[in-house]
Amino acid sequence: MSRNAKLILLLLVLVGAACAAFVLLRPAGEGTVARITLDGKLVEEIDLSAVTEPYTFTVEGPGGFTNTIEVEPGRIRVREAGCPDQVCVNQGYISDGTVPIVCLPNKLVIEITGGGDSLDAATG
Amino acid sequence: MLRRCLALGAALILMAGLLTGCQAKAAESTVFAMDTVMSLTVYGGKGEEAVAEATELIYDLQNLLTATDENSPLYALNHAGGAWTTLDGDLLALLSDSQALCEKTGGALDITAYPAVQAWGFISKDYRVPGEEELTDLASRIDYAALELDLKGSRARLPEGMEVELGAVAKGYTGDRLAQLMAELGVESAIFSLGGNVQAVGSKPDGSPWRVAIQDPDGQGNLAIVEVTDKAVVTSGGYQRYFEQDGVTYWHILDPVTAAPARTGLQSVTVIGPEGLVCDGLSTALFVLGEEQGMAFWRDHPELGVELVFVREDGSVAITAGLEDSFTLGDGFTDREVQVLS
Amino acid sequence: MTPPPAKGARRLTRLALLTAIALTIFLVEAQLPPLTAVPGIKLGLANIVTVYAMFTLGPGDALLILCARVFLGAVFSGQMMTLIYSAAGGLLSWCVLLLLRRLLTREQIWLCSPVAGVFHNLGQLLAAAGVMKTWAVLAYLPYLVPAGILAGLFTGLCAQFLMARLDKLGP
Repeated sequence: MSRNAKLILLLLVLVGAACAAFVLLRPAGEGTVARITLDGKLVEEIDLSAVTEPYTFTVEGPGGFTNTIEVEPGRIRVREAGCPDQVCVNQGYISDGTVPIVCLPNKLVIEITGGGDSLDAATG
Repeated sequence: MLRRCLALGAALILMAGLLTGCQAKAAESTVFAMDTVMSLTVYGGKGEEAVAEATELIYDLQNLLTATDENSPLYALNHAGGAWTTLDGDLLALLSDSQALCEKTGGALDITAYPAVQAWGFISKDYRVPGEEELTDLASRIDYAALELDLKGSRARLPEGMEVELGAVAKGYTGDRLAQLMAELGVESAIFSLGGNVQAVGSKPDGSPWRVAIQDPDGQGNLAIVEVTDKAVVTSGGYQRYFEQDGVTYWHILDPVTAAPARTGLQSVTVIGPEGLVCDGLSTALFVLGEEQGMAFWRDHPELGVELVFVREDGSVAITAGLEDSFTLGDGFTDREVQVLS
Repeated sequence: MTPPPAKGARRLTRLALLTAIALTIFLVEAQLPPLTAVPGIKLGLANIVTVYAMFTLGPGDALLILCARVFLGAVFSGQMMTLIYSAAGGLLSWCVLLLLRRLLTREQIWLCSPVAGVFHNLGQLLAAAGVMKTWAVLAYLPYLVPAGILAGLFTGLCAQFLMARLDKLGP
């Protein structure tokens, strides 16, 4: 093989390896992942893109109430809650990271990371 | 040989450039404070440390800025019966800045509207509509100019029956303090979501601007997206806190002149600018002033460097000229009419 | 290295034939389901024709075939937006092929195609950055570069075998 060919091959391998390393070393977390926290502490992490059958579960928070969370493929909501204002229930399903579900009285936050929408924050 | 070395060098530089992308890890935290939930995201090597210090700062400010806690300095000032009250320098400076902003808006923003907000039940959540006489009395007790500040003597005084509350500027001020803290720590990329107030520090780790969504006042979608670097984005709207009685909706943003909810044909006002405190206070003031007077204010005060988004009651949107390149309508809202004002 | 350019009807026929082949391959490939979730990753089989034309007919004719294929491909697939991306990618990789043609021999075509593939993807991303007015799309680059190398290797080997066979047939 000529010197030119060797040089080009070397460059290709180097650049390819660099990119592959970059992709592989990136922190995982592709797909739509819902993080459920109570008072800032993580209680559950659900990959919504891997959910096939809807299911529900209940958490009890520092506010002394329970929130029943319904998980469906690609989306999540609070179905029932013992809190007085029901803001979390009225918000309905979320499927992207812009507006988390927050139950203030119970210090519950459901937020979605990853997924398509590339928004960083929301005002309103 | 020389050429080969150069090529190898170029390849290594390229590789290094690609790998540095990995360092853009985020430190995140959720804080419950000031009656809302705040999410803090800091990028870069000092992320964890910065988030921890930011959380501490928020808790400190919460104690400083509240008017409901009986041990708070503002509660003491509000219940001093007209006597001088000694205040901490930070709080006094904030009161002075807030008062200056009230004056700038011609009283559309008024930090002494607290008794009226209480009378409507927006603090206790025991909502009620005060009668006409009561409203007249409440309105007569709203006057930011009556707050006396003695900066040299570190004290303040308020006529009896009046009360100061910083709800309209507290989160914006917190954003400013957080941005200042990040600058001190050398953080170049961070975004703080303070219960609807957004404070963006620098740009995203890849150098592109932050994409901040403006929520649709009618629903749960994102009406629009603005791209910002090093700016605060704050929205005030009647949809944020309200109650209904006899088919009428009453919201928490009161007109200081009438002590009743401000009705100016707007659903929300978003203010984008370099200072969180100014954006926060102005979003309230401009909601009270309405679009026409709000635009007059905007034209009169180019020194503030703010840009505005008005969402009108009919759902149409008006933006100021400086936003033309950084404003886009959200998915599902692309049919909204957008008017560019200047 | 390059045979003297064919003239008149012979050249026109050859150009038309190669364009038709490239277009057919392009449109058939467009019907296949996408290989991965990352947009922009595909084999790019139509580039076999570009590489072949570059080394046998010369850069001018290769450019003609490329432009015709890109334009007609966008028309027939009904997606005019792809015109910008394909043109940007195609032209950048053509420039690189022009350079590689001087550095490599006909027996090393398999090697120049991956390089062209990488630059094809780079061109597409730059076009996308221009269209969307943000550099953020370049975040796809680390995904597209290895994909471009692999796809280029495949099309390069195809072109290599193709030329070995065609050389036996004579001009």
